[in-house]
Amino acid sequence: MLQTSNYSLVLSLQFLLLSYDLFVNSFSELLRMAPVIQLVLFIIQDIAVLFNIIIIFLMFFNTFVFQAGLVNLLFRKFKGTIILTAVYFALSISLHVWVMNLRWKNSKRFVWTDGLQTLFVFQRLAAVLYCYFYKRTAVRLGDPRFYQDSLWLRKEFMQVRR
Amino acid sequence: MGRKQVRPPRALPPVPSAIQDDIPLSRPKKKKPRTKTTLASASLEGLVQTAVHRPSEGSELPTKDPREHPEAPVQRRQKKTRPPLELETASTQKKASSASLLRNENGLSVEPAEDPVIQKPRRKTKKTQPAELQYADELGVEDEDIITDEQNSPEQQSVFTAPTGVSQPVGKVFVEKSRRFQAADRSELIKTTENIDVSMDVKPSWTTRDVALSVHRAFRMIGLFSHGFLAGCAVWNVVVIYVLAGDRLSDLPNLLQQYKTLAYPFQSLLYLLLALSTVSAFDRIDLAKTSVAIRNFLALDPTALASFLYFTALTLSLSQQMTSDRIHLYTPSSVNGSLWAEGIEEQVLQPWIVVNLVVAVLVGLSWLFLSSRPGMDLSEELMFSSDVEEYPDKDKGIKPLHNANSPSE
Repeated sequence: MLQTSNYSLVLSLQFLLLSYDLFVNSFSELLRMAPVIQLVLFIIQDIAVLFNIIIIFLMFFNTFVFQAGLVNLLFRKFKGTIILTAVYFALSISLHVWVMNLRWKNSKRFVWTDGLQTLFVFQRLAAVLYCYFYKRTAVRLGDPRFYQDSLWLRKEFMQVRR
Repeated sequence: MGRKQVRPPRALPPVPSAIQDDIPLSRPKKKKPRTKTTLASASLEGLVQTAVHRPSEGSELPTKDPREHPEAPVQRRQKKTRPPLELETASTQKKASSASLLRNENGLSVEPAEDPVIQKPRRKTKKTQPAELQYADELGVEDEDIITDEQNSPEQQSVFTAPTGVSQPVGKVFVEKSRRFQAADRSELIKTTENIDVSMDVKPSWTTRDVALSVHRAFRMIGLFSHGFLAGCAVWNVVVIYVLAGDRLSDLPNLLQQYKTLAYPFQSLLYLLLALSTVSAFDRIDLAKTSVAIRNFLALDPTALASFLYFTALTLSLSQQMTSDRIHLYTPSSVNGSLWAEGIEEQVLQPWIVVNLVVAVLVGLSWLFLSSRPGMDLSEELMFSSDVEEYPDKDKGIKPLHNANSPSE
């Protein structure tokens, strides 16, 4: 069974990483006095997303559903979060690489092209969706039903075996 | 009351709730032979004791006599005969048995008169508890567990005979906890079994579900704040733009000059607030349950509409990032390397102003929609409500399979 204190700790860590992500997405364009600042912000942001992915998978592994062997069930339930997080991670890295490539010599340069603008919009939209789905999943995994036997789980198990 | 003198030591029961359907305690039957036994052993002066105490769950224990201290450690314990009624708990059993065994080997005697005297009050307190409880059967003592031996013939009393003798119900029950048997008080266990119906309602004060719920509500509060703040900011922004642009956008260079320090910070702030508001609005309609969200949207539910408007506003606002950066980097066209060629201002700024106006209208409308039903939160209803009726079953722990509700995504 998931301990309340552990869950609170993990949840606060997840929210901290999400807040950092939101903060960098919002204000990274302002903090470009030197290219290094943006580079560091971006690197930490990507690592934060990676950490969040690792944490959510560790939480999956901790559930009774997973330990009962119903990995597919768990992934089916949270496939939205998993896919969106992966997509967002890919979009973030590509945008960061592109922006840093353009701004590395002169951070005050006007670098926007239509392609960059499009990628920017998609990355920021994905960030909002990622935030929503990730937050929801993290909160959802606090449900004690994921950590114990239940009739629902047995039914699912029977369906899988069939 | 069969005479089972040569019985192998019984293994401890695997689970505490092993069903034994006999009367928990059978006092009158037992009492008589026991006094006989002790008297008999007294008459034998403790040379060999026939009444062997087996460390089963069904033996009652008097307090350990302080006079009966072991004089030397003895290793052979369970297989030897030893005097009865010296055992108290699982841990003290060993000590006591070694003590009594030693006495046997050394030919020491026990005080026979003392044991029945000590035991009487104990038994009385025992009997009252199980009698009034239905669960007592499970935790009680089986009749055949209690072995008495009335015969004290010398041929049986060899040192190497298998354990025989009297056993009595003990106050301990051995419960398997984390792969180890631990002695638990029988009366306590009976009490807890009895009180389950009462304690069922007393939940652990702070569960993971409560944490999740409180976090969810805290975020909803932040979202509520950001809805209003965003609407105000957007309207203020549009007002500032139109004031700076002058009558019929006649003074665009002035707008650029004045607004260029404000443009990018405001764009960032707008994104932050829009992101918060959008996530909060999605929470309210529970977007992850697509069918419910679409149904609500088609039914023109204000919250669903607000979510859609927020998302549109977010997209529109993001699409102006390039222009915002251009304004941010504004230098008069006379300056070398300026992004703003002569006469390009209106062409660039016109759509930007319109988009800002539309965004302000959208977030204002969303705020109005949301504030018309500020309490609506489908996520909370769908995610957490189904848990409520399940909780009694869960806390009981006896039948956790009642609810077939699947936890939502």
